[in-house]
Amino acid sequence: MTQSHRLLLITVLSLSVVLLSPLLGIDHPVSAEIKRQIMFEIRIPRVIFAFVAGAGLALCGMVFQAMFNNPLATPFTLGVASGASLGAAIYVSLGLSFSLLGIDGTSFSAFLGALIAISIVYGISHFRQGFSTETLLLTGVAISFFFSSLILFTQYLSNVTDSFRILRWLMGELSIVGYQDLMQLLPFVTLCVAVIIWLSRELNLLMAGDDIALSRGVAVKQTRYLLFFITSLCVGAIVALCGPIGFIGMMVPHICRLIIGSDHRWLTPATLMFGGGFLVFCDTIARLIIAPAEIPVGVITTLLGGPFFLWLLIRIRSKTA
Amino acid sequence: MNSVIHGQNIKVAVTNKVLLENISFQVNEGDYLCIVGPNGAGKSSLIKAIMGILPLSHGQLLINQHAITSYSQKQLAKQVSYVPQANGRTLPFTVKEFVAMARYPFHSAMSEWQPLDQQAVEQAFAITNTEQFADRQISTLSGGECQRVMIAAALCQQSPILLLDEPTSFLDPHHQVEVHKLIRELNQQHQITIIEVSHDINHASQHSKQILALKEGQSLWQGPASEFLEKDRLHSLYEQAFIFLNHPQTGAIIALPDEQL
Repeated sequence: MTQSHRLLLITVLSLSVVLLSPLLGIDHPVSAEIKRQIMFEIRIPRVIFAFVAGAGLALCGMVFQAMFNNPLATPFTLGVASGASLGAAIYVSLGLSFSLLGIDGTSFSAFLGALIAISIVYGISHFRQGFSTETLLLTGVAISFFFSSLILFTQYLSNVTDSFRILRWLMGELSIVGYQDLMQLLPFVTLCVAVIIWLSRELNLLMAGDDIALSRGVAVKQTRYLLFFITSLCVGAIVALCGPIGFIGMMVPHICRLIIGSDHRWLTPATLMFGGGFLVFCDTIARLIIAPAEIPVGVITTLLGGPFFLWLLIRIRSKTA
Repeated sequence: MNSVIHGQNIKVAVTNKVLLENISFQVNEGDYLCIVGPNGAGKSSLIKAIMGILPLSHGQLLINQHAITSYSQKQLAKQVSYVPQANGRTLPFTVKEFVAMARYPFHSAMSEWQPLDQQAVEQAFAITNTEQFADRQISTLSGGECQRVMIAAALCQQSPILLLDEPTSFLDPHHQVEVHKLIRELNQQHQITIIEVSHDINHASQHSKQILALKEGQSLWQGPASEFLEKDRLHSLYEQAFIFLNHPQTGAIIALPDEQL
């Protein structure tokens, strides 16, 4: 099977999940008019939203894995998502409300939080030469804990309503209504996808290490800054709208790499399709499993992702040993 | 002779630690320079400075009479290519993918693969005799095969200057000879200017044309390779006594560490 066949297979699978999902769980005895309404005003925007968010999270994970040359390095494990969450939590609990260029203030705060977190990780990883990935990941864990405590603190200081809002949102959920949320997300993810596709060759060379990338002519520093900025933007926008949905950024690109290889000219579209389809799949389960109630989708992805993380860790250990 | 690399009073420091200081040297077109010296002398740092990996904190480095800082990283990659110290075996690519990636400086984001690129890849395979494992994963190669692939990838860049950082350090004697022969071929038949970091002083004195000896970040000696092997010089360079004998086949002088001192 050639790479284009594999990509086609992933795309077909992913799109069939997307097409099937809105049709599931709509058999309540309601009128045709209400059914139509549910379909077009709730289900379809939600599925598209889940697809876009999933694709964005998966791609940001892929970029981090390539840049740090480690499958465990993602915006979540390195504390970028917690930074974004903290930004958004502070915004909510302060009762702020502003928007700029039609973009909600929550997104801006989350973006700022993500950028601060990535600056800390990057700063520490450049503090000393010969910096090991283990130290990097531990730094990420430390940053995550630190920001999580600050989120708890923020929550403690807020009133009951805000506190519950923050809690619900921290679980990662996709119960959005209508198309306006989608419009808050789409520009960021589109921009991110465009930049990542544009930088496919650079990502390939970054996987070979900074020295080789530089010697082949990649302006490593500028490329890195651009990628950090653009992924912070994307993660910030996603986290602001649906909370920190974990593990997609780690699982999806890794599985895609096993299927289609490490060449980003193939890996990027594969990760985009798989990531989108995967989050739609998880969201469908979250919606159906205890219907008519639904559980936050972040619970599903984390339940799947935890064991996957452990499996990956053991696999890497046994490989290097 | 055209000077292709000219270093003037180079200083390289990373976070206040001085790696190189006061280094001046010149490499002409078609030259073969070996950089020797004890561990931590700054040999790799000098190579990395020429590749634009480490910035200069003082001095000038001219590549083809132009300051290295006036080149973009892509332009520099068209002049200089680099084979790093052996570490390639964890790369998640096939040999063909990895070698083709070296055509990066000749492309923009969306440009198409050209016949010229294909030619460069095939030529690199042919010179290094690596065609037969083009479709294998790099992680499955042996040390010697992997080193040849690393050289093939650098050659694919088609730059007139090639830097090699200890290309034979992890190879058995047979593969050492093979890689040394390949480097000489590149220098003599393909007119590529070579700068090589080496711990093998006998190889350096016999096969290279010029030698630059570094110690503690300073230049200790430089001159024609044939004049390098000298008792006091080696002693002050490595703080180790050497004895000398003649190679029974070639008659060349060989230095061996004196075991009794």
